[in-house]
Amino acid sequence: MSIKSGYFRKNLVADLSSGACTFEELSEEFVHQYIGGRGFGAGLVWENLNKHDFNIDPFGPENLIAIAPGPLTGTYLPSSGKCSFVTISPATGGYGDSSSGGSFGIELRQSGIDVLSIIGRAQELSILFLDDGEASIIPMPELKGKSCLETEGIIKGRLKTHEIIIAAIGVGGENLVKFACVNNDWSRNAGRTGIGAVMGSKNLKAVVVRGSKDLPVYDIEGLMQEAEKAYGYMKTHKYFEMWQREGLMNVMEYANSVGILPTYNFKDANFAKISQINGDTMVGKYKIGDSACFGCSMCCGNVCLVKQGKYIGTVTEGPEYESCAMLGSNLGVDNFEAILAANNACDEYGIDTISTGNLIGAVIEGYEKGIISLEDLEGEPITWGNEEAVLSMIRKIARREGIGDILADGSLKVIETWPEMDKLVLHVKGLEQSAYDSRAGVSMALAYATSDIGAHHTRAWTIAKEIEQGKDWSDEEKVDLVIYHQTLRPLFDMLGVCRLPWIELGLNEKHYENFYYYVTGDKADLKELLERSNKVYDITRLINTRLGMSRKDDTIPYKVKACPIQTGATAGKVVDEEDFTRLLDLYYQKRGWDSNGIPAGYEGSSNR
Amino acid sequence: MSKKIAVVPELCSGCRICELTCAIHHFKVNNPKKSAIRVIITYPHPVVRMPIVCSQCKIPACAEACPVDALKKADSVVELDKEVCISCMKCVEACPFGAMYAHSDVDHPIKCDMCGGNPRCVEKCPKGAIYLIPEQALGESKRINNILSYAHMKEIEFMEKGEKRSIRYAEIGKEEL
Repeated sequence: MSIKSGYFRKNLVADLSSGACTFEELSEEFVHQYIGGRGFGAGLVWENLNKHDFNIDPFGPENLIAIAPGPLTGTYLPSSGKCSFVTISPATGGYGDSSSGGSFGIELRQSGIDVLSIIGRAQELSILFLDDGEASIIPMPELKGKSCLETEGIIKGRLKTHEIIIAAIGVGGENLVKFACVNNDWSRNAGRTGIGAVMGSKNLKAVVVRGSKDLPVYDIEGLMQEAEKAYGYMKTHKYFEMWQREGLMNVMEYANSVGILPTYNFKDANFAKISQINGDTMVGKYKIGDSACFGCSMCCGNVCLVKQGKYIGTVTEGPEYESCAMLGSNLGVDNFEAILAANNACDEYGIDTISTGNLIGAVIEGYEKGIISLEDLEGEPITWGNEEAVLSMIRKIARREGIGDILADGSLKVIETWPEMDKLVLHVKGLEQSAYDSRAGVSMALAYATSDIGAHHTRAWTIAKEIEQGKDWSDEEKVDLVIYHQTLRPLFDMLGVCRLPWIELGLNEKHYENFYYYVTGDKADLKELLERSNKVYDITRLINTRLGMSRKDDTIPYKVKACPIQTGATAGKVVDEEDFTRLLDLYYQKRGWDSNGIPAGYEGSSNR
Repeated sequence: MSKKIAVVPELCSGCRICELTCAIHHFKVNNPKKSAIRVIITYPHPVVRMPIVCSQCKIPACAEACPVDALKKADSVVELDKEVCISCMKCVEACPFGAMYAHSDVDHPIKCDMCGGNPRCVEKCPKGAIYLIPEQALGESKRINNILSYAHMKEIEFMEKGEKRSIRYAEIGKEEL
């Protein structure tokens, strides 16, 4: 093998039960196969599952959280600020990961490790402090009930330094809300699959890092030259300045115009009051600054401030598209200031904006349809656009008060409590669907159904391409695109970089084989890297399989197959179940999985 | 002509590309902690992203604190003589802006040398938040902003070719000053 650089080859295993922090050597084989990030996480979670004979409670001390930047994280190339958080998800009971931007990943690497594995459970609320390679677990019960930001402030005071990076959970994580986030750099979140709740179950309030080490790079001159080409390409792209100005908020208008914007709990796919909650409104009235993850010239983050009115003083980094859509149009909220307040509340409580907006939308519709009673809502009605009720619901979820206690356990619990809600909650495997309506393109429905973490667009985001070019696509073209996305997009998460330069500005993916070579010295071409990514996809599939999932869990939500979109460019669209089934068959076949979705060559698979 | 590095914190996104490029240029390593410029970020009150870099002071506090005269003002740059430096890091603590840095791998303080007149941080900043400016132009953006927000101005709005426009003016002698 040929890994010459790019890694410290160290996995820090912090056992919160015993307090032992040990450094384990990562073998060249492991590093070669899994690359980093999500790959490392999947590999370590798989090993841990094997160790426990696949008997793991997501909230049990045996569950492992792997926090893994990639070999490219923090290196001199565009948008290298990503870090993956991987665990067994309390939301789905299967494989869960979420990737976060910010600067936590680079600081973690600079402290001299490639991955941090957390197991066990601390006796009292604690923080894990990793100071340039020295690890310590510090009990800090005073952090109980504190928001993510308050937590940062208290820790900085206690450790008497400003120059540390903190990934913390809020009240949501402490209360085991199944979609609790891990928050760093103010509002960069590992938002999905409930990583924050798993941290909460371990009594771990925050991971604090400070590092000063050189990141190992095989050929720094080569890396610089390649990076200059990439930065130069991005800078001259016609949409580059638009990204700096609006960031992901520009997607609001796009999603609205093409008919994929979740509106009134996915009843519609466009919003009449879009102009009040779009990028122009944000830039014109609220934006006071840019914010970027480490090494990113696109700076898609926006700092917004409400300068007058009821929400005066609300200052937040965001919203980005998903948050604005799920807490805005999806709930019928047309007041951008209320969206900022809701986004801010979710960040402070440390709960995922997508799941939160999705579930509140379902509750509003459930109440409208009489499935959820006023009594269920403790006498506080909630209706479309009722921003105060929405804010109150966010608080109830995070604190597990009243109906919030049910919502906090996610869509599966909601459906268990009110079986008819099965028709209103959009989820796959228990993870609430993110903000792209899949009825506009069946490939997106397939992407959600076969994503290893549930209904999230991180693995494959084929909707735009299908809308723009896919009218006459064959089944095969659709399936191929989903699999290509599910192979390339996770590769970014393995390398530890953001995919936006590629997906949004069309940065050639071939750059990444060069980046990878200059950092690691491993001369693998893109094809080989994609093969390694594909193997990780098989492993995450296997994790799910061994935890009881199969074809029956690769589903499309009821609304997607039964309720046509009401208005807008995609009005009337719905996913035909037969079409979907045909695509799913073809998908399994192309992946080499058997007809029950089990990867070939493994126990229980009919494809040997 | 003497030039200075000026920063506009309002434009800074906090991406820290300046740190990376500085460290790579001077030390050939990928390590933002070996940079002579650092972006210090505070939030949410106040929200500030401020690149901190040496101002090349005319009366440098770092040089005054140096017990061995290793820091000297030469032309427009305060230069560090690494041969003379005893690595006591008194200069790092003396700088009123915290614009000098120390690192355990490096035998001397890390200080901006203006890259010989062509600062890499200025070149690479994707937001134009760091720039090179003739000394006499320092503060010009503050001056013009100050004038644009001058408190005693009145404003009238009118239509011109179907577009709404406005003019601001001062009523000289009619305002109570």
